[in-house]
Amino acid sequence: MNTVLEVMDLNVTFPTRAGAIRASQQVSFRMQKGEISVLIGETGSGKSVIGLAVLHLLPEAAIISGKINYNGREILSMSEKEFSRFRGRDISLVPQNPSGSLDPLMRCGKQISESLEIRGISNLKQSTEVENILSNLQFSDPKLTAASFPHELSGGMRQRVTTGIALASEPKLLVSDEPTKGLDYSSRKTSMKMFLHLKHIRKDTHLLITHDLDLARMIGDTIHVLYSGEIIESGPVDEIFSDPHHPYTEGLIAALPRNGMKAMPGMCPGLIDLPSGCYFYSRCPYQCEQGKTIHPAIIPVNGRRSVRCHRFSR
Amino acid sequence: MHQYIVMRTGYLILTLFIASVFTFCVVNAIPGEPAEVLAKHLFLGLEESAPPELIAEVSARYDLNKPLIEQYSEWIRGILSGNLGNSIIYNKSVGKLLELYLPPTILLTSFAMTFAIITGIALGIASALHQNKTADHLIRFITIFSISMPSFWVAVMLILIFSLWLNLTPVAGYGEPKYIILPLIALGLHSMASIARIMRTSMLDTMEKPFIIFSKAKGLSRKKILFSHAFKNAFLPVLTVIGMSFGSLLAGSVIIETIFTWPGIGALLMKAISARDLVVIESTIMVIVFMFLIVNFVIDILYHVIDPRITYE
Repeated sequence: MNTVLEVMDLNVTFPTRAGAIRASQQVSFRMQKGEISVLIGETGSGKSVIGLAVLHLLPEAAIISGKINYNGREILSMSEKEFSRFRGRDISLVPQNPSGSLDPLMRCGKQISESLEIRGISNLKQSTEVENILSNLQFSDPKLTAASFPHELSGGMRQRVTTGIALASEPKLLVSDEPTKGLDYSSRKTSMKMFLHLKHIRKDTHLLITHDLDLARMIGDTIHVLYSGEIIESGPVDEIFSDPHHPYTEGLIAALPRNGMKAMPGMCPGLIDLPSGCYFYSRCPYQCEQGKTIHPAIIPVNGRRSVRCHRFSR
Repeated sequence: MHQYIVMRTGYLILTLFIASVFTFCVVNAIPGEPAEVLAKHLFLGLEESAPPELIAEVSARYDLNKPLIEQYSEWIRGILSGNLGNSIIYNKSVGKLLELYLPPTILLTSFAMTFAIITGIALGIASALHQNKTADHLIRFITIFSISMPSFWVAVMLILIFSLWLNLTPVAGYGEPKYIILPLIALGLHSMASIARIMRTSMLDTMEKPFIIFSKAKGLSRKKILFSHAFKNAFLPVLTVIGMSFGSLLAGSVIIETIFTWPGIGALLMKAISARDLVVIESTIMVIVFMFLIVNFVIDILYHVIDPRITYE
């Protein structure tokens, strides 16, 4: 198979006055061509940091180690100048905060055209191409949307416009950072429908970063659950949802509205003072003896899955 | 939009009215009996003391003994019928005086403003792009210096350095292009510095915005990010400052024109004040107020042109 992205032992730390924030620790995963991988986790679990690291968009203060291979080339250690050739050509981003990510003074169509221009599409073809893209994104009147300024659109429409900008560059790897965050019920549904439609027509290699379990289940192929900056469980989406191994994943699924909205007790630990044992120990319903003092390693289970839990080490 | 223009025109007239009342009151509140100062100016010389008969005669001839409210309404009625009044010491209509003195002022202020805008924006952007590097520190030093130094001092220093020591420019005067160089710098320096400072701050602020980071993620070149996205967004606060500095520029022109013997309305106003040529003072101030209001009116319209989010409903 064709590996597009391989992240190996990625560590991201932000030095602050209060201490080092370990936003991402020993994160490793790989993505095959055409695969939709989902990084799922709550706010502060370090999922966005991974996406930004792939795009070299982390703030300069961040201390980064590990390796990221994109189509066999190590990109993490590349200089800004070297890497800038990949952005918007090979790898593109659907940003978090679509409202702030659009230039308020430029018409949406023009903002999409900018991505087309990078691909070398002539001015003449740009407007038809923009309309094509917009009609694929569930816009009923692409011409009107293209001529609108961002403030004239709803939050959900802006989200789909930013997706359009990312897709206009025909990326070989699409990174979307919490695309359904902050959307109301119906906009979220439209966005989900759009992503499902895109999955069927385009087969993008897509790294989806989200806390939206429904979206993950609807379009994802593989899922990586993050907790306190670490991947604690990985595996195919349907298997994880039908048979979660890690107690945190179990808790997440049980907390879904249709499963009775059973909230997990406790809070995730702060990223500055992490406990020496298992990060989930204080909230764990099993509370095994090793978890108190020993930090669990990630353990492969049945070939395609892996989990960071002492109960699976034998 | 049309409604807005009509409404703004209404406000403009209202502001002019308030300014006229205020100007009239202030001019008449200047210490020293106007008739006495005028009599000395016209007949005696400032060091002499004027005999009461002469003061009474001057007072009567120029209607200075009428009640203030009557003097005011006469002046306003004149303006409304297109007559700005007559100068006492120049023996000419104020309209005629403005015809002579206004073009040099418009020339000087528009050159000074253009200089301030272009250099201010360029320095501000350069400063923001080299944040906390030597160039930035140097530019910030220059702007702080230009804001802090009074324009009359800057004017004298410019004359000293460029005219007397280096012999590059004439000391003062009016006519050929070389005469405008020093006055336009002396007049525009303060505005240039305010524009540069706000441009720097606004540019740095804009560069942190999510849409700039997204532009980078889109793969746009640095040049494109700077000019298609960052500059346009960063320019709005600068526009506000440009409007306001036009006011201080007009105020500054009074002193600068006097120093460089530039025959504009600033110098005219200065002379009129010292001679208590009341109508000239009042009408000239009204012209300055009018210019300021018009410039800010245009700037308000420009806001809308640049930023589609601003609507005037």
